[in-house]
Amino acid sequence: MTAGAAGRPLLVADGITKQFGGVTALDHVDMAVAPGEAVGVVGPNGAGKTTLFNCLFGLEEPDSGSVVFDGRRIDRLPVWRRSRMGIGRTFQRMELFEGMTVADHLLVAEQAASGTVRVWRDFVHRGGPTPTELHHVQEVLDLLGLSELAGRPVDTLDLGHARLVELGRAMMGTPRLLMLDEPSSGLDAEDTARLARILGETRRTTGVAVVLVEHDLALVESAVDRLYVLNFGKVLASGPVDDVLADPEVRRAYLGSTA
Amino acid sequence: MTQFFNYAVPGVPFGCVFALMAVGLVLTYKASGVFNLAFGAQAFVSALAYVSLDQDGWPRWASTVIAVLVIGPLVGVLLDRLLFRRIRTASPLVKLVPSLGLLVALPQLALIIAGSTPSIPPPAIVGDAQRVYVHLGSVPLSGLELSISAATVVVVAALVVLFRFTPVGLEMRAVVESPRMTELAGVNAGRVSAFAWILSSIMAALAGVLLSPLYSQLDPQNFTVLLVWGVAGAVIGRFASLPLAMVGGLALGVAQQVIAGYMPAGVIANGLRPSLPFVVLLAFLPLARQRQIDDPLSACDPPSSASEAAASGFRSASTVATSGGAVHSVGVWHQRLEGLPGSRMTGVLVRRPTATFAWAVGGLAILSALTWVPPDWLLTMNQGLAFAIIFLSLTLLTGMTGQISLCQATFAGLGGFMAGQLANNFGLPIVLGMVAGALLAACLGVLVAIPTLRLAGLPLALATLAFALLADNILFPNSWIGNGAGGITLPRPSAGPVSFAAAKPFFLLSLVILGVCAGVVKLVGDGTMGRYLSAVRGSELAANSVGIDVYRLRILVFALSAALAGVGGALFGSLEGSLSANDFGYQISAVLLVVVAIVGLGSIAGAVVAGIVYTTLQVAVTSLPSRYAGLVAVLFGLATLSYTRHPEGFLDYLSGRAQRAIAARRAHRLGGGPPARGAAGTGAGERAPVGADPLVGGAG
Repeated sequence: MTAGAAGRPLLVADGITKQFGGVTALDHVDMAVAPGEAVGVVGPNGAGKTTLFNCLFGLEEPDSGSVVFDGRRIDRLPVWRRSRMGIGRTFQRMELFEGMTVADHLLVAEQAASGTVRVWRDFVHRGGPTPTELHHVQEVLDLLGLSELAGRPVDTLDLGHARLVELGRAMMGTPRLLMLDEPSSGLDAEDTARLARILGETRRTTGVAVVLVEHDLALVESAVDRLYVLNFGKVLASGPVDDVLADPEVRRAYLGSTA
Repeated sequence: MTQFFNYAVPGVPFGCVFALMAVGLVLTYKASGVFNLAFGAQAFVSALAYVSLDQDGWPRWASTVIAVLVIGPLVGVLLDRLLFRRIRTASPLVKLVPSLGLLVALPQLALIIAGSTPSIPPPAIVGDAQRVYVHLGSVPLSGLELSISAATVVVVAALVVLFRFTPVGLEMRAVVESPRMTELAGVNAGRVSAFAWILSSIMAALAGVLLSPLYSQLDPQNFTVLLVWGVAGAVIGRFASLPLAMVGGLALGVAQQVIAGYMPAGVIANGLRPSLPFVVLLAFLPLARQRQIDDPLSACDPPSSASEAAASGFRSASTVATSGGAVHSVGVWHQRLEGLPGSRMTGVLVRRPTATFAWAVGGLAILSALTWVPPDWLLTMNQGLAFAIIFLSLTLLTGMTGQISLCQATFAGLGGFMAGQLANNFGLPIVLGMVAGALLAACLGVLVAIPTLRLAGLPLALATLAFALLADNILFPNSWIGNGAGGITLPRPSAGPVSFAAAKPFFLLSLVILGVCAGVVKLVGDGTMGRYLSAVRGSELAANSVGIDVYRLRILVFALSAALAGVGGALFGSLEGSLSANDFGYQISAVLLVVVAIVGLGSIAGAVVAGIVYTTLQVAVTSLPSRYAGLVAVLFGLATLSYTRHPEGFLDYLSGRAQRAIAARRAHRLGGGPPARGAAGTGAGERAPVGADPLVGGAG
């Protein structure tokens, strides 16, 4: 089951259960992500994918179960603390800082990730970015191919580039785990292909681990090593991508007759 | 039990009026998306009409019908048509400012039209207001109490019939649940919403008329206090449920009488009753927020227009810009639109002339103040500087952070009182007192920020309003704080042999203090904190997810903003030589927000100009005949109408126009195309947030 995991896993979710009223959104979900590994989470609508994401990231508190990141329990920590520990995420519904430029998005994330108190520095030192921070921003801009658009307010970007800005923002502060929530939703085939390419390149250069919730099976197949299939809040199957997709039960529950 | 009953029964008529207001507020909020704070003004207008007609010898039934069924709905329909219908999807600030403006302006306009304030209490709509008709147990019930209760029962019965048994009632219930879903079902939601406005206005009018016999003289402020109770009732109804709002209003009316009955008399008891709305708001507002997402279509709400949201905010420094592909740090004040590739140079070139112009005007004003300006004008200008600091606190909090506070005057008052008390009782130099006052105000800011951390937009505004009301009733009347309406005295500062008591030295000192405050705001806006703040304003969720401790940041900003307001209040007190609770009552907070929003929340220059404009207009009023004393309030109210079209503020609008004109002329001279600014793609060029100038206060 933890076929791809070598050594200590980076993220371990153990027995995550979450109920909304009488509805059980997650029912004892276990999950493990090794350092540098890419894991996909798929499942029909309402299977609990986003709830799982929110429980891992801290936007929802699980009713029971534990989340361990890098050997530390994080399930009671606030979102911003998890982020500073090295988890970056994107949102299915775009959450950009309206009115700020592309470069500023990355800079804010870079400065916040380092978590140093800067209020007093603002008064002493005018609070501008340091050369190191600007260097990191430039690196990520280059990696994403966004250098040309660095000075553009995000409101003026098309969806494909806006998704890249979200990805870039999540990558600042050199996280060890990227959590991507439906990064391809609303994108056309060309934009999705570019996203897959950039994601692959990011993993190669930074060695970051990825958890990907995605509908687009082509993107999932090309981007991840291992797959979890959720259905009605339970893990239906997990393992290497090809094995899982060949599982007859998975085909019946999720893919229907078309695949 | 009998005692409880004896206390509770007299609360029922009050509860009835609160319930009417709560129901009216919820009706228009759900039907048109605007929380109509002008509701209190509508109640006042109808009450005034009722009293005036009564004194002109009209029969009671005729005055009632005209005030409640003609004037009330007329005002409501006008408000809906002219204003509220157009701002359905605007940002919370753009929705709030006009209703606050109207809350102040409408009563003054009505008073000017009426000519004089009637001074004799009018009769109740039925029976004799004072006469006791029956006893309920041992509780005597007067004609006033009976008429209020009876009228409310009639209205409630009519509402039940309307909602249960008529087609329009069904449609309205549907609109209240989900306006857009109803439209999809083929119902004209606009018509239904207009009907909701009429109904709501009738309730406002009825509430005003019913209560008017209670007051020996009609005062708009009484109706604002009433409004806060109505708001609390609406919050109990979670902004959504009419029956709950009604029950909430009724419960509040009973509760306030019971509290008054059981508590021993004194400042605390007198304060506890008015603070009930604050407690209720804090307890129920988080619930109300949860409840709002029940609309099945709420997830796909049309987002508030990007340009409006951006325009109403503070344009903090985008310190990273590119040229030639490399990232440079440029400490430019703001360059949202100039950030477009190729247009940055144009931006810099164009911005300079207006900046120079602004500095020149400021310099000339200072020079004039120190040479030829007569003493009373100098005083006014100096008052303007003090208020500019208070306005800066809003530039920081509302402009940069997007958080709406309606208790800035409270912070200012507290700072002033603290400074004065320390100077009077402990001989502390007044400048040190100002610092202490600022610190105390900052502590209070933290106290306000912590329980309201999860609130934003309208709920936050209401919570801060309730807090201001609480402070007015509990804090300011104490002799060791504000000493009530009597107030306290404050000295003017002196440092060793140098005295700042005379007008001109004090003016210079004020300039320096303003300069320091403006510097703080500019450093915060340009620095890391400013960048964090714009991030939080853009998306609190995403800000959290990149590692920003949003709650800590909010507490910090509230504290800093409160401290600024405290400095401004203390400076004002020292200038005037005295300060009373009336100087910084809760209604002043509303006026301050309206004024600075109209002038411009987007820049330091906006705060300075707002300060000067505010004090100058107040002086101008005193030279008018007394009938037109409210004229300034009316003007500001009307200015809020134009504000909805130019939410970036008057100053940015003007400098934007000037810059476009200059850019066009330059482009024409160079034979090039139109300026690149057009590429912003906001569609409405007028509305595009085009830069104000990097004007740092008046002091160098």
